[in-house]
Amino acid sequence: MDIPLNIDILQILLHMLNFVILAGGLSFLLYKPVNRFLEQRREHFAQIEKENKEATEENERLRAEYEQKLKSAEEEILEQKKAAEKELANASAKYIGEAKERAASIILAAEREAEDRKEHILESAQTEIGELVVAATQKLLSDTVTPERNSALYDEFIRVAEDTVAESRKKHDRKSV
Amino acid sequence: MKSDNKSKRFLFLAIWLLIIAIIIVGIVAFWPPGAKHETIKETMQDGVLHEHNRISLFGLEVNPALISAYIVTAVLLIAAALIRIFAIPKFKLIPGKFQSIIEKLVEFFSDMANNNSHHKPKFIGAYIFGAGVYIFFSTIFELFGIQAVTTDGASISLPAPISDINAAIALGVLSYAIILGAGIRFGGLRGALGVLKDFSLPISMSFRLFGALLSGLLVTELVYYYVGLSFVLPVIVAVLFTLLHALIQTYVLATLVSIFYGEAVEPKPKKVKVKKKEVI
Repeated sequence: MDIPLNIDILQILLHMLNFVILAGGLSFLLYKPVNRFLEQRREHFAQIEKENKEATEENERLRAEYEQKLKSAEEEILEQKKAAEKELANASAKYIGEAKERAASIILAAEREAEDRKEHILESAQTEIGELVVAATQKLLSDTVTPERNSALYDEFIRVAEDTVAESRKKHDRKSV
Repeated sequence: MKSDNKSKRFLFLAIWLLIIAIIIVGIVAFWPPGAKHETIKETMQDGVLHEHNRISLFGLEVNPALISAYIVTAVLLIAAALIRIFAIPKFKLIPGKFQSIIEKLVEFFSDMANNNSHHKPKFIGAYIFGAGVYIFFSTIFELFGIQAVTTDGASISLPAPISDINAAIALGVLSYAIILGAGIRFGGLRGALGVLKDFSLPISMSFRLFGALLSGLLVTELVYYYVGLSFVLPVIVAVLFTLLHALIQTYVLATLVSIFYGEAVEPKPKKVKVKKKEVI
């Protein structure tokens, strides 16, 4: 068959064979391996992106959790602080009350003791004065009685009595202190 | 001041060289042509039809473009095998220059297939990758000017494979056959009919490819015919009619095939039968 334009069926088929071999070869040797590599790389980066996203989400979650914990811890600390302050205030009030009571009882006891001692000293002073009076009277009676002598005796009696009273008071005051 | 003087000097030099080039081109253009074995008519006719200069392929007389096609295929397959064996296993996550080129090349066709054919884009991606690479490299093949001996004993420069109408028809018909096959495979009879109604597709594909390549070839032949035009002009002509053609035709055929394939494999919505209203 004579086809114009030098069209030759056999040569068309030979060109087709050539192209089919080329297309198949290029697909097998270049297109598919490179596409596979590109796909693997895309997946690799997608995986990295996914991991990053997950890590970011996890970090965000942990941060939120930590903030929540921090907030609750702060609240707890505040509550505990308040409770401690309250407890401290109660305890101090209790101690102060007790101390006051104790101080009052100590003062009362001391006053009572001082009173007792005072009475005791006065009693003992009176006894000593009596004894002195008796001793002086005896001395008077035994010695010669003269006006000068009498006056001197009285003076001495008064001085000794005053000294005894003063000494008793001093003793009393020292004990009270 | 210094840079002003420098730029002025460059401008002067450029104008001077341009004037010399124009004069040389003028002289050469009017130089009488040397003795030719063929007239320009014969050269052009042979460029289009390849009737005279034929090459023997295992005893069969074929057009030189078929030899070109086989050489292109062999070179491309060897290059692909070398890349597959030595380069692809060393591909890194962060690509180098060569890896980037290969990846871009594959991605270009893969993306084109994915964009134009949403269903089953893998097969057509591989096909248009093969077709694109073949058209591109077979178009720039003529720039190398590989010599071959014809059956008459004359020496010729091997032309671009697609400048032979048989190669263009082969590619056009094969592409159409693939689209038709996909239509039948995925759309059944309706799909086949849908593809068959575009019966002009193989003709338009073949002749577009052939015409585009042929125009470049004819201009190049014309330029090379006259020795006088063979000095500066071939560089411009080669770039315009070879490299640009290579890129444009690669893009056009790959796009057309992927679009028609996508259309053929697209699932067709089932027709809803509307009951005829009863006439009262």
